[in-house]
Amino acid sequence: MKYAYFPGCKIPHHLPEYGSSVEAVCDAVGIELAKPEFNCCGYPVRHENELASIYSAIRNFAVAEEAGLPIMTPCKCCFGNLKYAQSRVAEDGKLAVLIATLLAQDGLAMPKSMEVFHLLSVLDEQVGAEFLRRKTATPLSGVKVACHYGCHALRPESVTGFDDPLAPTLFERVISALGAETVEWDLRLECCGYPLRGRDDTISEALMRKKLENARAAGADIVATACTYCQLQFDRERDALPFNDPLRKAPPAVLFTQLIGTALGLDAQVMGMEKNRISWQTASL
Amino acid sequence: MEFYDIGLTLAFIVFGAGVIRRASHWFCLRSSGSFSFTFAGAARALIADVLLLFRTLRTSPLRWAAHCLVFFGFMGLLLFHAMDDTVTAAFFPNYEPTLDPWQFLRNLFGAITLVGLVLMVLRRVMQEKLRTLTRFQDWAALLVVGCIILSGFLLEASKIISPVVFDDMVYEYFVAEEGRDLTALKAYWTKEYGAVFPETLPMDADTLEHGRELDEESCADCHSNTASAFVSRPLSMLLTPIAPALDVSRAHEVFWSFHVLFCFIALAALPFGKFFHPISTPLNLLVRQGRRDGAPMSGRARKVALDACTRCGECSLHCSVAPVFSVLGNENILPSEKLLSLRKHAAGEPLSDEVLKAFAEGSRICTECMRCTDICPSGINLQDLWLSSKAELAEAAPEPDRAVRGMSPDKWTSCLVEAEGVKDILPPVSGLADNAESFWACVQCTTCTSVCPVVAVSEDSTRDLDLAPQQIMNLLRMGLKDQAIGARMVWSCTTCYKCQEHCPQNIRVADVLYELRNTAAARLRAADNPCEDKGDLS
Repeated sequence: MKYAYFPGCKIPHHLPEYGSSVEAVCDAVGIELAKPEFNCCGYPVRHENELASIYSAIRNFAVAEEAGLPIMTPCKCCFGNLKYAQSRVAEDGKLAVLIATLLAQDGLAMPKSMEVFHLLSVLDEQVGAEFLRRKTATPLSGVKVACHYGCHALRPESVTGFDDPLAPTLFERVISALGAETVEWDLRLECCGYPLRGRDDTISEALMRKKLENARAAGADIVATACTYCQLQFDRERDALPFNDPLRKAPPAVLFTQLIGTALGLDAQVMGMEKNRISWQTASL
Repeated sequence: MEFYDIGLTLAFIVFGAGVIRRASHWFCLRSSGSFSFTFAGAARALIADVLLLFRTLRTSPLRWAAHCLVFFGFMGLLLFHAMDDTVTAAFFPNYEPTLDPWQFLRNLFGAITLVGLVLMVLRRVMQEKLRTLTRFQDWAALLVVGCIILSGFLLEASKIISPVVFDDMVYEYFVAEEGRDLTALKAYWTKEYGAVFPETLPMDADTLEHGRELDEESCADCHSNTASAFVSRPLSMLLTPIAPALDVSRAHEVFWSFHVLFCFIALAALPFGKFFHPISTPLNLLVRQGRRDGAPMSGRARKVALDACTRCGECSLHCSVAPVFSVLGNENILPSEKLLSLRKHAAGEPLSDEVLKAFAEGSRICTECMRCTDICPSGINLQDLWLSSKAELAEAAPEPDRAVRGMSPDKWTSCLVEAEGVKDILPPVSGLADNAESFWACVQCTTCTSVCPVVAVSEDSTRDLDLAPQQIMNLLRMGLKDQAIGARMVWSCTTCYKCQEHCPQNIRVADVLYELRNTAAARLRAADNPCEDKGDLS
């Protein structure tokens, strides 16, 4: 199992613990990561200029093809935009020609195959829940986890093909393999609110509040995330709330790779759990 | 010598005043923010980053080689050749510029500088991306240093072949005892040292042997064989056919004038643009002490960082959003170019509306991926520079989202719908919002609205969002795109795609909303600040 690792732009500065935990987990379960130099997936600029967004995405496929590897990303938004660009180019011949011209100016060719996977899918399909169960050194027994799916991998399903868009089970399969208990909650497929940051902070915060309160009501100890932006919203942005805001007491967000690393007994320093601003007291373990 | 003294004085005045002006920026701010400095760290940075250029090696071995050649070559020339009276003579009392090893070393240092410069020019010419980013100051810096070296070689070569220079030396240092002495010396110098005389000289063994003895007595104490000048001597041979003409026109004096003139230009230019980097970049490297993170810096460290760019372009070659630049063509998206705007902005220079708009666009398109900061061979904490300037720029030239939210419906209509040539502007990828087929199947079932989480968290969706998703689809169905674009629902869409996933008629609701935002962005981009102008009138 070898993939071209696509961390996305936000990990190096804004969420380094995601990068370090992803690499450690991949190493532990036998996923080999190559690191060709990718560019932005194109997701952030899609609000302004879709051509720039699609070209950015397809250029990454061209880079991956030169490396002869499929892309693996831990970010749902990167995953979603790469998938979206792929579908647009497939359905619009004129656009494909335009993109090919832009690629040629950069000395690249239109990629023949465009393969991208989210790390969750790789763990579920390639590594397998059974393997994770066997590898688990410290089962997360008694930890109630609310799996937060993240929109851009899940929808539109016709584009992303991630899981059943109305009743997905992939995330829960991976988390249960670690011995944790997954909770049913109404808003597990709803948006975290991050895409509205800086554009409509009021609604962004309202979406986060509604969602995290729902997780608490469902009895979750933690919310597991598998996306850079979702984690930034539930951790960094939540930390900007006033110190006495009750939302701080709602279940903390933990990256799924941090959970896997903890269960597998990987170095806590590398998992970067102390970097989470809304910290998870792991005393129950 | 008048020219030399006046030139040197003027160059020093410009240099001194310029350095004071630039350095004063570093000290005018009260220092705040984190600033850790240790002498051990500074010593490490001095050796590894300043002298051995490890950060450059990390980025590109070829560029490292080129820079090392120019750096060590030029430093060598500066210390032992340009400042020979103070440096070389102090360590070597018998120093003569025409003796070896100095004659040889001068050629060696000149040659390696020249090779380095050629590599630098090739890098800028061969790499297409870099070529388009190369500005006047980049070529100017290479040209000035190149001219110093070339004029130096030409000066030495023209002196080697010049009879006038030979005669001057003979007049001062040689006393002919016999009539044939001067002829013999000339013959020997022609044969061994490459001098070129207009008259035909006897080249028999006796004359040459006599010339050798005379040379030993009078010249050899100060003159090594010019063969060790391994660049200038072959160059002088190339010049031999035009030697008489060079001699008549006193070419060596002309070349000397050019040589010192280029040195004065370099000295005077040192405080300007990238010419300043031999001073500012080492200082920044000392401040950074080997760090490559993007942690917030003190205001003073920021000012030093702004001055430390050498315009090597590595950041732009590796920029994560460089493909966006390829599409939009706004150079301010690329870090090396955005830094120029930021430097002007930070120095309080007024930017034109057009430049400010481009600069703000570059600022917001940056995804803060840290790559430029990690890669910068000058150790500039670009991440901090971008992050600390974002809010102010967003204020100065708002992004489409804020611009549209800030407009009243009237203003939107007059500026971005009815203004000439704006209404028909489509985003580069389009075809959904203007295509009736996208909506013909819509039965106004309101599923999109009822699953929308944004509508759900809003206490009063008409007040907060103007229109619900299905109402927007209805407007578009009727061809009323311009009425739909300004609705806040379009701008407060969180892109979760629930509407699209749940639509029983497979209408691409979320994709349409994206396209509407793209349309507004394209119009705002094409319009030359229409709203500010018209806003003043209304």
